[in-house]
Amino acid sequence: MNTVLSRANSLFAFSLSVMAALTFGCFITTAFKDRSIPVDIHVSKVMIKNVDDFTGPRERSDLGFVTFDISANLQPIFDWNVKELFLYLTAEYSTKSNALNQVVLWDKIVLRGYNTKLNLRDVKSKYFFFDDGNGLRSNKNITLTLSWNVVPNAGILPLVMGSGHKSLAFPESYETAKSY
Amino acid sequence: MLSAFKSIPTHMDYKGQKLAEQIFQGVILVSAVIGFIYGFTIQQFGWTVYIMLAGFTISCLLTLPPWPVYRKNHLNWQPAMPETSGENRDKLQEIQKKKKHK
Repeated sequence: MNTVLSRANSLFAFSLSVMAALTFGCFITTAFKDRSIPVDIHVSKVMIKNVDDFTGPRERSDLGFVTFDISANLQPIFDWNVKELFLYLTAEYSTKSNALNQVVLWDKIVLRGYNTKLNLRDVKSKYFFFDDGNGLRSNKNITLTLSWNVVPNAGILPLVMGSGHKSLAFPESYETAKSY
Repeated sequence: MLSAFKSIPTHMDYKGQKLAEQIFQGVILVSAVIGFIYGFTIQQFGWTVYIMLAGFTISCLLTLPPWPVYRKNHLNWQPAMPETSGENRDKLQEIQKKKKHK
């Protein structure tokens, strides 16, 4: 500790160790929180088509179109250890060929400090709702749930499902292309 | 240029070094506790880091330059011995050899 450099060295190393301890303290205060909130999902329009699916093994697959409303208040989730939330809307159903299918229809990134009240109306799905086959037609029970991935400042990234889901049924017949 | 930097005296005596270490550890720990409590209260971790950095800067200013308070206890060096010529060195070696034989 006789020269400036050796004093600066020990000072800096001590600060870094204290900083690491503070980060661990930040993690510990929020590690066991339950990050689930109630979510409200409504579906306004459901349509189904049977089109060529070039990414799949068969000629034609079912393509679903869902228009939905989402409302949720995300404010209780954001604490001092949350940097952002990655929200995604999942459709879960079962068909004759597959017992469990899960398709992500839509997602959104909500950063800390931005608007946390989610009140979206008439949202079209971002991603194609293709089925692995033709199992969507007259499928009575398709469950839509909103989940999110919590990205923290320090610690693990949990996947949390919102409490609140919506079941919908697809129509019996395909929608034919309209000609005007 | 570098020699100008190296010629600036930056030493502290032993008691001064101990005092400097206690001061910077104390300042950084206090600012860490204050920062943790404030950040937890307003739920923003950024403020914890800012307060820690402020504590770091304060302790840099307090302990890095060799303030006079760190130089109060001077080391008592022995008075310098007179310049030894070659004869004195030979005499010393003779005395040491005799002591070994005994």
